[in-house]
Amino acid sequence: MKTALSRRHTLGLAFAAAMLWGTAAARATPADDARAFINTFGQQMVAIVNSNRSLSEKKSAFQPLLENNVDIDSIGRTCLGRYWRVATPEQRTRFLSLFHQVVVNSITDQIGDYRGVTFTIGRVTPSGTDQAVDTVINRPEQPAVNAQWIVSFGSGRPMVMDVVAEGPRLSVTTQQDYASFLSQHNGSIDALLHALERKVAAHNAPAQAH
Amino acid sequence: MRAVTGSILQPSRSCARPRRIARLFAGLGLAALAGCAVPPPKDPDALAEYREANDPYEPLNRKMYDLSMTLDKYSLRPVAKAYVWAVPYRVRQSLGNLVQTMNEPVVFFNDVGAGKSRRAGDAFVRWCINMVAGVGGLIDVAKYAGYPHHDNDAGLTLATWGVPSGPYLFMPMMGPSSFRDGAGYGIDVGLSPWNYVPRGYGLLTFNWAYNIMGTINGRADHLDALDQLQKDALDPYATIRSAYQQQRKAQTDAIRNDHRATVPDWYN
Repeated sequence: MKTALSRRHTLGLAFAAAMLWGTAAARATPADDARAFINTFGQQMVAIVNSNRSLSEKKSAFQPLLENNVDIDSIGRTCLGRYWRVATPEQRTRFLSLFHQVVVNSITDQIGDYRGVTFTIGRVTPSGTDQAVDTVINRPEQPAVNAQWIVSFGSGRPMVMDVVAEGPRLSVTTQQDYASFLSQHNGSIDALLHALERKVAAHNAPAQAH
Repeated sequence: MRAVTGSILQPSRSCARPRRIARLFAGLGLAALAGCAVPPPKDPDALAEYREANDPYEPLNRKMYDLSMTLDKYSLRPVAKAYVWAVPYRVRQSLGNLVQTMNEPVVFFNDVGAGKSRRAGDAFVRWCINMVAGVGGLIDVAKYAGYPHHDNDAGLTLATWGVPSGPYLFMPMMGPSSFRDGAGYGIDVGLSPWNYVPRGYGLLTFNWAYNIMGTINGRADHLDALDQLQKDALDPYATIRSAYQQQRKAQTDAIRNDHRATVPDWYN
């Protein structure tokens, strides 16, 4: 009796272990999720870039895609650094609204004009609580670019939190750019907002002329 | 014996004067830099930013940056644009490969210096394959054989030894650097076999052509990126500084974290 019980126990334990193993194997890891997310996001971006649309049409198509997949607000807060704490609610709103346009303009400038852009996904490695997805972006007649996408699951769904292009982290470079500008303008956030407005207006001018 | 040792260790009268002059110039240079140094700010947040930028000679560096950008605008940039317009991409790519292969000995010596034998082996194999099968380096055959290019220079080697970068420097017409990387550049010039080509050889002409073409080719590769940076950044100087410092750190980390076994894959 004792032997039969223990045998049943052992069988039960083995079955439970097999079930748990199966569930663990079936459940995708955060690395797999991050890879799948960047693959889908990348395919959508490349489809727009390689289409025959005009640059301003591509820019309009990028906007909703970036809003859905990139946590632009969070990146913007990081880029403003310590000045975010001292900014008024009205300045914060204005800054974020301008920052969204800055991001879209920057992406449009970097890849908008090309046709035949392709990308390959490499390793996925943990980066703190986030996942870092390595990609190589090939643009025709240009050197290939190694870009690493930092994907966070903090909001419940995958979002791009930063991009590391050939070493420099976009948010750190931009934060240093803004910090240097602000230190030369006595920390005036309004001066920064005016400068960003001028940049956005200058960028939109040729697009409107199309 | 003492006399021999003394003659090696102590400078003779004829060499003492240039050394003294060199020391005087070095002293004057340091004094000039010290005169340009910005005192650290008092505010803790501003102090943290000041330390992160690591740029105490910012006023002098900005002048050098402005000077370089003005010179670039009227010299190297138009030349690079004309080069891109006149030379087909495949040819430019081949010339880029040639420049990269010719620099492979410097990468090799630095890999050895950094104690990364696998990387040194990769650089050596790249040099051998590309010089023979790659027609003197014009075709990067090694990349397709599983030996892609990796960066290394004496500044990075010193960094892997734990030598701190020292303050940021913007060198006129040479771009962003630091005290350590500037010294590293001097070491790299000494490590390049092409600088030991005897006078009177045709190779000397090749060396000049190689250096000039390498500069134009390198500038052409960054035409779009630099133009865009100038257009989008609020302070392009600070953006370049940050990008450079981050890139050097990333390159140092890549060398430090390369723990691949020394034995190539084909022995496994």
